[in-house]
Amino acid sequence: MIVAGVGIIVAAGFAAAMLALITSVFGQGDECAAPAGAAAPGGEGPGGGIVLGPAGTGQLVGATEYGGPGDPGSGVFGSSGANLLELPDSYAELGGTSFQTATAMGGLPYLTPLRVTWGTRSAIAYKRDIGLGGGPVDGLPRALDLWWQLAGRLGIPYEDGLWSGPVRIERPPDAGAGNMLGQAAQSAATETAAPAAAEEPSACTPAAGEGVPLTGAEHAQRLPDGLAAAPAGAPAAVQGIIAAGNQIAGKPYVLGAGHGLPLSEVAPAYDCSSSVEHLLYGAGLLPNGYDAPSGTLASFGRPGPGRWVTLYANPDHVFMYVAGLRWDTHNAAGAGDGSTGIGWHP
Amino acid sequence: MRAAVALTISAFAAGGCGASHEHERPATRQSPLAQAQATHEYPSPSPPPQTATAAAHAPIEAIRAFATAYINWDAQTVAADMRSLAAAAVGQARAAMILAAAETAGDYELQRGGIANRGTVEAIAPRPSRPREFIVVTLESTTATNTTAYQGLRPAWHVALATVAEQSPGQWVLSGWQPEN
Repeated sequence: MIVAGVGIIVAAGFAAAMLALITSVFGQGDECAAPAGAAAPGGEGPGGGIVLGPAGTGQLVGATEYGGPGDPGSGVFGSSGANLLELPDSYAELGGTSFQTATAMGGLPYLTPLRVTWGTRSAIAYKRDIGLGGGPVDGLPRALDLWWQLAGRLGIPYEDGLWSGPVRIERPPDAGAGNMLGQAAQSAATETAAPAAAEEPSACTPAAGEGVPLTGAEHAQRLPDGLAAAPAGAPAAVQGIIAAGNQIAGKPYVLGAGHGLPLSEVAPAYDCSSSVEHLLYGAGLLPNGYDAPSGTLASFGRPGPGRWVTLYANPDHVFMYVAGLRWDTHNAAGAGDGSTGIGWHP
Repeated sequence: MRAAVALTISAFAAGGCGASHEHERPATRQSPLAQAQATHEYPSPSPPPQTATAAAHAPIEAIRAFATAYINWDAQTVAADMRSLAAAAVGQARAAMILAAAETAGDYELQRGGIANRGTVEAIAPRPSRPREFIVVTLESTTATNTTAYQGLRPAWHVALATVAEQSPGQWVLSGWQPEN
């Protein structure tokens, strides 16, 4: 399973400046309240049970606000039949000119959770309504309508149902024991689905791990020569990532290097994003022509920690853990960690 | 009796002469290799019967105990919890729990994220026209101490299909467990 992580970075000795920068984006804000699951199912209590979190990542889309005293025409019942005053963590999927075409996000099933970020705050909201579309919002496709109490909790000013602006949306990870343990019936289909970032899945190479050293250990091992050995029991895609990493481990780090080339080629130097993309291509997870900065990789795959691979990304940096081994730029484990250029780190 | 023994010996002797004689052997005398080539399954003896370490007096009791343990764990205990569940189950349920124990024991991200799952069994209902199969409804929350990915998610409903077996009269154990979402 490949996921884009949004967790707190805890690597000891990570460069202080970078740590401060990244935790300001990923870290838990002061306004964060109770842990997941603390919200009452009925939405009772202060804020209607909406738990605020730090800013998430994900795709920028256009949003509007609806309901409340200045917009009585919207009523209080969503098209799902839910009373939105009782369940204020609600959104409506928009689109088209009729309710049958309200599929701006692909026609999500009711109760699909989304993490909605506005400014420095985020909250989980559930689809309980649909609505008509409209023109772009700040140049972004108009995708969802936020119930006014949810919008208020996020800090969005109430403008009698007329507010509009950009928000970020992302799917939270699948929860529950069956999903966490990889045993839910839907897991297999979900985990093998093409990642959203791979626009041309057919152009991706098949996972290839030929020639990669193997270890009987549970985690990948960094070898004395700087290369990595993959767990013998790891999936072919994971071994493919490690094999691709070994191709370029030790190459110099140069900001902007490695971009503009097909991912199948080995460049003279790499930066963080071009190197991570080369590794993902090695597993057949990106098309050969893919080229994006680090921030784009924040929405790669599914959010949350992955069983084998986790990406940590923001607009300034991206690195990844592959079978427990960190792929990063030089000195990622602290000044003088012995690494040079890009590569595997303990 | 003596004639029958002699016939058996000659048949085995013919079987040892190589592949060119295979067509002469009756199907009941196929070598394991020939059977494997024909059926893509190498014949092996039946496994010994499995015995669960714990059994309940009623199917619903067995399911409730199993499901409760399955959905309540944290990253530190999950592998041991799944091993215990494997010992308390038979058949597919045991195999699934052994696999879960093996995977979670080496799941670096699960440990690093401080993932935990909590929940309650809300309903257990027999599946119509499917004896010994039950529909199990749970309400679960997943939390994490080192990632905010699960923060704010409401407890969610989950459904699993459970199958029970009667290990001995009045002693019920889980023999199948398939989470559906």
